[in-house]
Amino acid sequence: MGPTFLGVRHHSPACAALVARVIDTLRPAHVLVEGGADLNGRIDELLLGHELPVAVFSSYRDGLRDGSREPMRHASWAPFCEYSPEWVALRAGRAVGAAVRFIDLPAWDPAFASRRNRYADAEVRYADVVARLCAEFAVDNVDTLWDHLFEAAPAEGLQERLAAYFDLVRGESDATEEDAAREEYMARWVRAAVADAGERPVVVVTGGFHRAALIRLCDPAASDPAPAVWPEIPTLPDGAVGGSYVVPFSFRRLDAFDGYQSGMPSPAYYQHLWDHGPEGAARELTRAVVERLRALRQPVSTADLIAARTAADGLALVRGHAVPSRVDILDGLASALVNEALDVPLPWTARGTLAPGTHPAVVEMVAALSGERVGRLHPDTPAPPLVHDVTALLERLGLDRAGPVDLDLTRPDGLERSRVLHRLRVLAVPGFARDSGPRTGVDPVLTERWRLSVHDGRTGALIEAGAYGAVLEEAAAAALADRIGAAGSDVDVIAAVLFDAALAGCAELSARLLEDVVRRVGSAPEPAALGRVLAVVLSLWRHDRLLGTAHSDTLGAVLAAGVTRALWLVEGVRGPGLPADPGRIGALVAVRDILVHCGLDDAVHSGSLAVADRVAADAGAPPDLRGAAFGFGWSLRGEASSVERAVRGAFAPASAGDWLAGVFALARERVLAAGGVLDVLDDLLAGLGEEDFLIALPALRQAFTWFPPRERETIAAHVVARHGGAPMSLRLPEPADLVAAGRALDARVDAVLTREGLL
Amino acid sequence: MSVDGLQRPPAEVRFAGELAALRDGDTGDRPPGWALSLRAARTFILGDQKAGITRKFVGDPSLIDRALISLATSRGLMLVGEPGTAKSLLSELLAAAVSGDSTLTIQGGAATTEDQIKYGWNYALLVADGPSTRSLVPAPLLRGMAEGRVVRFEEITRCPLEVQDCLLSPLSDRVLAVPELAGTDTGGTDSMVFARDGFNVIATANTRDRGVNEMSAALKRRFNFETVFPIADFDTEVSLVAQEAGALLHRSGVTAEQRRDVLEVLVTTFRELRTGRTGKGDAMERMTAVMSTAEAVSVAHAVGLRGWFLRREPGTPADIVSCLAGTAAKDNPDDLAKLRRYLEQEAPRRAGEQWKALHAARHLLPG
Repeated sequence: MGPTFLGVRHHSPACAALVARVIDTLRPAHVLVEGGADLNGRIDELLLGHELPVAVFSSYRDGLRDGSREPMRHASWAPFCEYSPEWVALRAGRAVGAAVRFIDLPAWDPAFASRRNRYADAEVRYADVVARLCAEFAVDNVDTLWDHLFEAAPAEGLQERLAAYFDLVRGESDATEEDAAREEYMARWVRAAVADAGERPVVVVTGGFHRAALIRLCDPAASDPAPAVWPEIPTLPDGAVGGSYVVPFSFRRLDAFDGYQSGMPSPAYYQHLWDHGPEGAARELTRAVVERLRALRQPVSTADLIAARTAADGLALVRGHAVPSRVDILDGLASALVNEALDVPLPWTARGTLAPGTHPAVVEMVAALSGERVGRLHPDTPAPPLVHDVTALLERLGLDRAGPVDLDLTRPDGLERSRVLHRLRVLAVPGFARDSGPRTGVDPVLTERWRLSVHDGRTGALIEAGAYGAVLEEAAAAALADRIGAAGSDVDVIAAVLFDAALAGCAELSARLLEDVVRRVGSAPEPAALGRVLAVVLSLWRHDRLLGTAHSDTLGAVLAAGVTRALWLVEGVRGPGLPADPGRIGALVAVRDILVHCGLDDAVHSGSLAVADRVAADAGAPPDLRGAAFGFGWSLRGEASSVERAVRGAFAPASAGDWLAGVFALARERVLAAGGVLDVLDDLLAGLGEEDFLIALPALRQAFTWFPPRERETIAAHVVARHGGAPMSLRLPEPADLVAAGRALDARVDAVLTREGLL
Repeated sequence: MSVDGLQRPPAEVRFAGELAALRDGDTGDRPPGWALSLRAARTFILGDQKAGITRKFVGDPSLIDRALISLATSRGLMLVGEPGTAKSLLSELLAAAVSGDSTLTIQGGAATTEDQIKYGWNYALLVADGPSTRSLVPAPLLRGMAEGRVVRFEEITRCPLEVQDCLLSPLSDRVLAVPELAGTDTGGTDSMVFARDGFNVIATANTRDRGVNEMSAALKRRFNFETVFPIADFDTEVSLVAQEAGALLHRSGVTAEQRRDVLEVLVTTFRELRTGRTGKGDAMERMTAVMSTAEAVSVAHAVGLRGWFLRREPGTPADIVSCLAGTAAKDNPDDLAKLRRYLEQEAPRRAGEQWKALHAARHLLPG
């Protein structure tokens, strides 16, 4: 009897139910499942009785053969939940006494080099045919299409419909080399199983995308008559380190894969569908959404719920579903609960992560779909290697006892221990608190003080962190990558993560992550925060030999992206009446420093100067920014045409101080060196009327604070000498604001006297 | 109705053939008072190539599903969105599909009064005979209720609040009182008009008008809100712009076809300034001016006209810059600054000769 090939979509309850039915009916001798064949010896470990979701985490690092490059690293997950067809196949196969085996290449095989989620949707890579099917059935996207064709459709004929669907998807596209290699390998297992089973049935459960190819490769008439023997399980290449182990997983992470890595969304909904059927799932989803909204004190009336239910039933009817499907319920809830215009489309009309600006009620709906379930491993599960790695490290470095630890970061052993502790801190392993040490900023701190304590939760936290990597450094880097993923466009958070990465000694980010950081820096919303971040990153890039980040490529790329973005933002600030803002001036200072120190290419240089010239001449820009832009050009070019004209042109009493603040912030040295400008300023100030002077005074005082006291004294001495005074103590007998207040009072009295004709 | 010489016949006339075909082949259950079943109405708007029904609205199919369901329930349908997102077209199509008639339309505005919505009087008859059904002039709402048809209310938020609120009892109690008829010889039976099956209201509102005449919470509750978004897919939008602008140019006597890459630059510019996000995902500021697909079509039309009648060629990115300054940035200096910044800083980062040309033409912006 030939093998039965079940093509499934990973994490589909409908497929899982089909797998269970087929295995129960056929009672096969062999059940073959898509999954790393290197795990075959450890299926017992998977079936110990964990609380799902769990995942098989695989990590890999190749040997450094020529020393000329970084070792290649790769980490991936194969997640299982209760309704995963693969999981059901393992359990049902065991239950009927079949031999259960994984038949795919190991996760470290080059065929998986770009995969982080083994059970991602393959058809997403073949978008054309899927788009045509969506148009044909008039649905929004592939997930809705799937619900329509399979999850919300009757179970009769499911197997045939699945086959037709996947044949269509596969039929039009050439599989990649990676897919072909995997299929070739899987087919060898199938042939061996069929030969071994003799007359008894064999069930093969794989992604539907591979089904047609496997049937072709296993056709006894077509395939070469090579002896059907069990294939060898590939072993790791020389010098490479890698392994797979079971780790707890969560619905949140399952839903967080995106792009080519994504699988079926909304795990909590499909769990309900698996547990309670479509009616029950509808009820549970509605209940979860309402509970969440009411907990946030959002009104959800009974009338709203009736309207939502009516709409969902109606939508199911229009779309031809016997009971409301996932999107029917969501659409019904959105119709009934959202009574204002939305800023971004409903997230379930397109794939991908939530867009900023999503309606709060819709955010809760998506959260309810995603769910909060977290898996837990059976106590007998072997601990992931991270636990052993950390225990050994702490012992070797003498960090395994409670008490304070002082580290000198300039010594190699101090730095090594500091990095280990920071990595543990980044992974949120309890019991490691830092009391003092380097912070973001320029002040150099060379020592660190930590407080270690013994904490019950340490092992648990390490097991959870085991999902990030097999050794501490990898795990910390992956956790930092996660934090960058969650940071959104908050560049302050990104700066904190980059600093943590520097402390933990994982500052060189992977290319993918770097792209992500660069993208986020490229969409920072306002110049002040971006300026702060760039200043921190620049100081890490320039100076930090201590942390080993000086001239790092990663930080260089962040700086280049930051420059482009800062210039864009600076040109967009409007408001001729706005007061000076040191934050946005700081952004231009940061850009200038980067241009001076980082050697960006000439196009960036000339582009920046062009932006600065436009801003300096733009009457609609705030005065401080115009001044800063003028100073930017002056400082970078080393000269400026007609400085005097520019100063005179900008010298309106209400804005002169703000304009000068900008100039001084960027071109302080030039102002001092070119004595002429000081003289011009002195003349202009002397020419101000009493009232104008008082208007200009507060901003002028602010502007001059950009000069350190010593330089202020130089200026004062210059001015005094200019007016023929003798060198003298420049300290006023009273605080300056008191003097200013006194002068204001004098001016008022004079004005009153003049008005009354007494003067 | 004779279609000849009409600038724009209503949807039920333009698509009379398709509606008839759908009616004939319609086997589904019709909601009470509807001209088509829900599925046939859906097909009318989303199209069905095999049945020869054209697609009339580019957008998420689920939006149409939700809109139709709202109309079949006891709540009205409120279409909201940026200007130029085809809300009025959608409301016309929905009314044509549901009632076979899209002409019961109230155009909202600052001067809209209740008698343009509910009913008015023929004053000559009113003075001669007193209030009677003969002297009553029904307005769209009264007719829609009495005849069981869909009433369209365009730009509802342009109306003063008290005028908007006259929809409350027709929508919740499904009844319209004509108190003037209460004491007349018919015994007052005409003084209450009860809505027949098939009556509902499709209102449209512009998100730019948000806050001008904020709807009352009571009225909001009686509507299901559906937001109509600009076209999400780039290629779809380019094709639509090419097709619509092509038709307009043809009518203007221009025979040169526009270059696809020039239109792509135009549509990209519109999309990025509209969403405040570049194709790569970098955030920018949105323009305050309307940058809808409809505006893109009109700019593409103007670009084609300039190119053809000034130089006998299909139009270049330099024409785009000239036209953008007048049509998109209008007289708003902030928008002009945003546009200038886009041309100065964003355009040179794009690859392609048309982008280079766009960047090179930046000095054509005024000021």
